[in-house]
Amino acid sequence: MIEEFYNQIGGDYSKAISRMQNDERIQKYLKFFLMDESYNQLKTAIEANDCESAFRGAHTLKGVCQNMAFENLSKIVEQITEELRAKEFEKALATFPNVAEEYQKVIDGINEII
Amino acid sequence: MEERDTLLIADDVMINRELLKDIFEGKYNILEASDGEEAIELLHKYKDKIALLFLDLVMPKKDGLEVMHYMSLNNMISTIPVIMITGEATVESDVKAYELGAADIIYKPFEPAVVTRRAKNIIELYQHRISIENELAIRTKELRESKRKIEQSNIFLTNALSSVVEFRSMESGEHIQRVKRLTRIMLRHWRALYGQKQFTDEQIELMVNASALHDVGKIAIPDNILLKPGRLTDEEYEEMKKHTIYGCQMLEHFKQEETEFYRYSYEICRYHHERYDGRGYPDGLSGEDIPIWAQVVSIVDVYDALVNKRVYKESFTPEETYRMIHRGDCGTFSPKLLKCFDDAKKDMIEATE
Repeated sequence: MIEEFYNQIGGDYSKAISRMQNDERIQKYLKFFLMDESYNQLKTAIEANDCESAFRGAHTLKGVCQNMAFENLSKIVEQITEELRAKEFEKALATFPNVAEEYQKVIDGINEII
Repeated sequence: MEERDTLLIADDVMINRELLKDIFEGKYNILEASDGEEAIELLHKYKDKIALLFLDLVMPKKDGLEVMHYMSLNNMISTIPVIMITGEATVESDVKAYELGAADIIYKPFEPAVVTRRAKNIIELYQHRISIENELAIRTKELRESKRKIEQSNIFLTNALSSVVEFRSMESGEHIQRVKRLTRIMLRHWRALYGQKQFTDEQIELMVNASALHDVGKIAIPDNILLKPGRLTDEEYEEMKKHTIYGCQMLEHFKQEETEFYRYSYEICRYHHERYDGRGYPDGLSGEDIPIWAQVVSIVDVYDALVNKRVYKESFTPEETYRMIHRGDCGTFSPKLLKCFDDAKKDMIEATE
C-alpha cells in the first residue's frame, strides 16, 4: 500500500524504507507531512510577491521532501528554491504551478491511504 | 564529572526532528528545539548533560549561526560538538560551518546508518578529549605545585648556605637579603632599559637566588683574615681574593647537573669582583666578557657595602655612594651598567632605607 503510493507519486520507496525502517513509521511521517507548514509558507509568499519568505518556505519544503524520498516533488521544489535563491522571482512564479501540481498529487495520495 | 547522555536536536521542521529522534531513541535522552531561541535556552539549562547538538542552519527567531555564536561566547564549542544539518552541499556553506566550529556536517536526506556512526564517533572523540583535558589540568596543577615547592626549598637552602658565611663573618645577615633585593631591582631596570627579550621573570628570579651565593667562598678564608678589623697586608689580601675561586670549587663539589641556576651561581661567585677595565680579579676579565648577572651583583655588592656600616668603616649616604661609584672609587663599571644603575636609583635608595 505504502509502496504503491510511492510509485504513484514518483517517490523512492526503497530509500524511504531504509530511512524509516518500516511502513508504520512511514505512515507516521506521512501524517506529519500533512501538518507541515512549509508549502503554505511558500504559497502565501509567492502570492504576496515576498521572495525572501518564499525562499525559506521552499528551502524547508525541499529538505522535508528529500527526507521523505518524494523524488518528483523534490526535484521541482529544488528548482524553485534555486530560482528564489537567485532572486529570479518571475521564473519562480512560472515554476510554482508545477510545484502545486506535484504537491497536490502527494497530498491526495496520502489522504487515500491513511 | 557528570555523564553526558543527552542529544539536542534543533530544527524548525518537525519531520526532520522526528527522523533524527527515531534514529537515537532509546540510546540517548532527546531534547528538541524548534527554533534558535529554544535551542539556546536548552543549551543553557543542560550544558553539562548534552553530548551532541544537531543544528539546522535556517531557523526562525534565531538561526543556527546565532546559536553557534552563543556557544562560542559561553565556552561550549569545545565541550559540545555541533553537527550542522544542511539541505545542500556548497563549498561556501561547508567552510562557513567549520569556521564557526561545527564538528561535522550532515546533508539531508539523513541516512540512519551514516548519521549514527558519525554521531557516535564525534561524541566519543569529544568525551575522550574532555577527559584528557581534565586529566591534564589536574596534572598541570600538581606539577605547578611541586615546582613551587622545589623552588621554595631551593631558596631556603641557598639562603641557609649564604647565611653560614655571614654568620661566620659576624655580619648582620641582612647584606644577603639586600643584595638579592637590589639585584632584582637592577635586573628589572636592565630589562626595561635594554629590551624585554633579555631575560624572563623566571630567569631573573634564578639570578636573584644565585646572587645570595656570591660570597659563599669566604667560608674557606681563615678567621685571622676574614675577621681582621684593620687593614689587610698584601699577602692577606691575596688570600682574601681567593674567596671567588673557593666559592666555585664548592659549587663544583655539590653540582649535580649543569642547570641554569648552577651557571648563574658559578659565574656570580667567580666574576663578582671582575671590573669592566680588566683590573678586577680573579681572572682579569674585561668588558662584556663579564656576564651581566655578575656585573649586576658586583655593583650591587659595592653599593650595599658603602651605604652600610662595616667593622672597618663608617657608612655613606646613598648620594655619596652614587658619586663614589660614578667617580670610579670602587673600580670601573660598564657605561651600560652605570646607566642602568642611575635608572634604578630611586628604587635602590628606597630598598636600602
